[in-house]
Amino acid sequence: MNSNITANTISPETLKAEYVTPENCVFSKNKNSFLAATVSGKDYARVILTRALPLAMPDSYICISDIDKNEIGIIEHISAFSEEQQLLINDELSQRYYCPVITKIESIKEKMGHFYFDVMIGDFKKSFAVKDISKSIRQHGDAIDLIDVDGNRFRIVDFDAIPSKSRRKLEPYLY
Amino acid sequence: MATKKGKHPKPPETEKGKFPKSLMLELNKAGLDTQSLIYCCTGDMDNEACYCSSWLSFDDKGLYIALGEEEEIKTKRKSKREKLETKYTVNHIQSIPLDDIDALETERYVSTGRLIIKKDGEQSGLLRFSIGRIAQFENFVRAFNSYKEKGKAEILSSAETEEKKCRKCGKSCPPDKDFCPKCNKKSSTALRLFKFFGGYIPQIVLIIAIMLLGTAVTVFVPQISTRSLFDDVLANPDGLPAAELIKALGVLMLSIFGVRLLSTVLTVIQQYITAAIMPKVVYDIKLKIFNAMQRLSVNFYSSKQTGSLMERVVRDANNIYWFFIDGVPALIIDTATIIGVVVIMFAMSWKLSLVTIGAMPLIFVCLFFGDRVFRRLHHRSWLYGARVSAMVSDNINGQRVIKAFSKEDDEYERFSKVSGEHTKADLKLSLTEATAFPILEIFVMGLSTVVLGIGGVMVAKGEMTTGTLLSYIVYLEMLRGPFDFLSWISNWWARCADSAQRVFEICDAKPDITEKENAVSFENLRGDIEINELEFEYEPARPVIKKLSLNVKAGYMLGIVGKTGAGKTTIANLIARLYDAKEGSVKIDGIDVKDLKLTELRRNIGLVSQDIYLFIGSIADNIRYAKPDATMDEVIAAAKAASAHDFIMKLPDAYETRVGAGGQKLSGGERQRISIARTIIQNPKILILDEATAAMDTETERNIQNSLTQLKEGRTTIAIAHRLSTLRDADYLAVIEDGKIIEYGTFSELIKQKGEFYKQYKIQSEALKTIGIGAEIPTDNKEDEQ
Repeated sequence: MNSNITANTISPETLKAEYVTPENCVFSKNKNSFLAATVSGKDYARVILTRALPLAMPDSYICISDIDKNEIGIIEHISAFSEEQQLLINDELSQRYYCPVITKIESIKEKMGHFYFDVMIGDFKKSFAVKDISKSIRQHGDAIDLIDVDGNRFRIVDFDAIPSKSRRKLEPYLY
Repeated sequence: MATKKGKHPKPPETEKGKFPKSLMLELNKAGLDTQSLIYCCTGDMDNEACYCSSWLSFDDKGLYIALGEEEEIKTKRKSKREKLETKYTVNHIQSIPLDDIDALETERYVSTGRLIIKKDGEQSGLLRFSIGRIAQFENFVRAFNSYKEKGKAEILSSAETEEKKCRKCGKSCPPDKDFCPKCNKKSSTALRLFKFFGGYIPQIVLIIAIMLLGTAVTVFVPQISTRSLFDDVLANPDGLPAAELIKALGVLMLSIFGVRLLSTVLTVIQQYITAAIMPKVVYDIKLKIFNAMQRLSVNFYSSKQTGSLMERVVRDANNIYWFFIDGVPALIIDTATIIGVVVIMFAMSWKLSLVTIGAMPLIFVCLFFGDRVFRRLHHRSWLYGARVSAMVSDNINGQRVIKAFSKEDDEYERFSKVSGEHTKADLKLSLTEATAFPILEIFVMGLSTVVLGIGGVMVAKGEMTTGTLLSYIVYLEMLRGPFDFLSWISNWWARCADSAQRVFEICDAKPDITEKENAVSFENLRGDIEINELEFEYEPARPVIKKLSLNVKAGYMLGIVGKTGAGKTTIANLIARLYDAKEGSVKIDGIDVKDLKLTELRRNIGLVSQDIYLFIGSIADNIRYAKPDATMDEVIAAAKAASAHDFIMKLPDAYETRVGAGGQKLSGGERQRISIARTIIQNPKILILDEATAAMDTETERNIQNSLTQLKEGRTTIAIAHRLSTLRDADYLAVIEDGKIIEYGTFSELIKQKGEFYKQYKIQSEALKTIGIGAEIPTDNKEDEQ
């Protein structure tokens, strides 16, 4: 048994992640409009950003990976980067995490265990079906995610900001 | 699908991998030559993820992306039957020459996907789509890439070009259905439910007859008890002689008692017959669900929660039971009561009846809105209740962890919060009930008062007798119960139909794994396994096995190693045909497993896995699970071969020890040895050991290895293991990484190669050395060692 391994070996200090900072990382767009980066002097023709806490802290703990999904590092908070760099980061994240935003709920009809939603996504009228409603509605803060039978996700960004009629329609199914 | 044939409009037939003809015409008009299109796919977004219709296709010259809109229109034909038509508008077509594309691929994001073009190692984004369409896009990519590579588009037999749409309303519907559940009419559910009563038609006719008779008797009661009492006995202006009065009262009392008695007897008979039928019907329903569940494939169980499936067998069947045992009789009785009472009321006084009927719509409106409010409140209370139940279940299952982290107080707080919310929801429901019902009561009371006032005037004018007025009021009161019931029977039926739909969903579910009509049997199985270009994915666009090929000769042992998630267990599942491959084949003795009889295949494959499941019953019962007629001699011999006999004999009840849920606690090693004995008694020709000893300590593992060596004798064996030392006996080893074979050969060959296998073996050997059981890394080949 290795006697050097003690409970003290694993301390909060040793668990601290290696962060990517503006000092060691510069983002840019490649010629096909994908996000590229130079991290610690190494060039990556395309990088992928993924949020560790996409719902609670969308701007913190963002993992940078190469195209083969090998992790390069983690951004602790994007505010550490310049405005121009933040724009690039946010553009990449908004594409990956894009979710159609529901602005109005026209109707919710329940038939045989399925819930049929007619909603407005901006000016576009969208209909979708949700099964097992208590599991398909996810609340996080003021936002609500609805997941339909095909796995498509729709978001209400601020439940209090949608029209009161729409709120009343969805409210019975929230808890 | 229970819907009547030909009742709904039929969508136009579309050739596999092609657009509908009307769309082809529109694309043609917009300048696209649709004659030579090879494969087509429909999307729902543009490159900026804005919703629109997108149509993707390719031919031998290029890739084409058309953007536009589509609209479902119902038109009436000459036959007056509706026809569903789609109107397409093409706004823009983009062409990309085939030479500008090396390959296509899809990228999966959170809620969307993206089609990517690859050219000279560079990627560029082409089109976005909703994540629900990724399977269609994957099929398109496959067809395109294969065409670019081989000049022939690979089109999967299961490939769907377009999203499946309901044949009635045109909205999305589940892939295995022609109608969305919304258009799957409730009447058809009702019809299917009534079919369960098919064997009891005489009893049902008798029940209905009794109920109608009982209702007629009940409706007749006020005529005697109120009208006759007041008009014929009490209201005689000259007064009856005492003897006659007593006689008349006696006759009246006996009549009332007799009518009430008759009504009660009829109710008892009706309930007795109903109670005799219903448990049998529920038994049939439960049996049907259970039988259907046994037919379904492993994939079905992976996508459903155990609790939800158990609910279907128990709770949904009971929901149906209570609706039919309480709801349907009450519905018949109350409908008959309303009809009977209204007829009598009109016969007594049509003027008063008109006043009453005039107020009815108002009552209905109150009941309708009240019902909507209560449904919401009930649903909310149910949701909170479900959350409380889930938390209790979570807490019970996680007790060891809770105690290990000393989190009892935090758990209490968590439960207290959720339970508090449930209490609040219940409180709101109770308060609303407490407020709404008295208001409704006052309204109905007000109606009675108005009727009483108008009736009083009519009595004073001599248009009506006192007895008639009082019995009229009694009839009015008699209507309250049935109307109240009818206001929420729809809610009750909705719940029953909802349960029935879930029941039928299981009964109608098509197993993923089905046996061909002309499936073949083994005459004399040798055990040769041949895997060709195998491809498999649990979710679209997330391949687990990628064009994997390997052969195992009969009687040989193949060891499969690889990291967690490499696809090792999936290979085992595909050999046993627990899942079907997306592409490629698994052949046993040269016959594709899809062509074999399932029982025959499974009987010849023994699976010993890390997850050991012992059924509730004795150890002997569990050992003879695969061969229920095995003699005790065979059971003991199998237990001895699996090194299980010794520990079984040390248990107080030996082979009769109860195991499974609530039974004797056995260690992981003991349970595994029972499962090995179970497989030995099955005597399969092909043996799959899927991490059989992964959860065991080294000592137990060594003991079990002896059992496994016994088991492997004379069989084709596929052993999957993390601990490479357990695979030293393997004739060949395959190292799997990311669904592909990266190294293949004998143990010594792989050691010599000094690749991934060597690296892993070295790490593990050195780790084992630190606890004094490590083996030296061999330098020569296996044959030399032996």
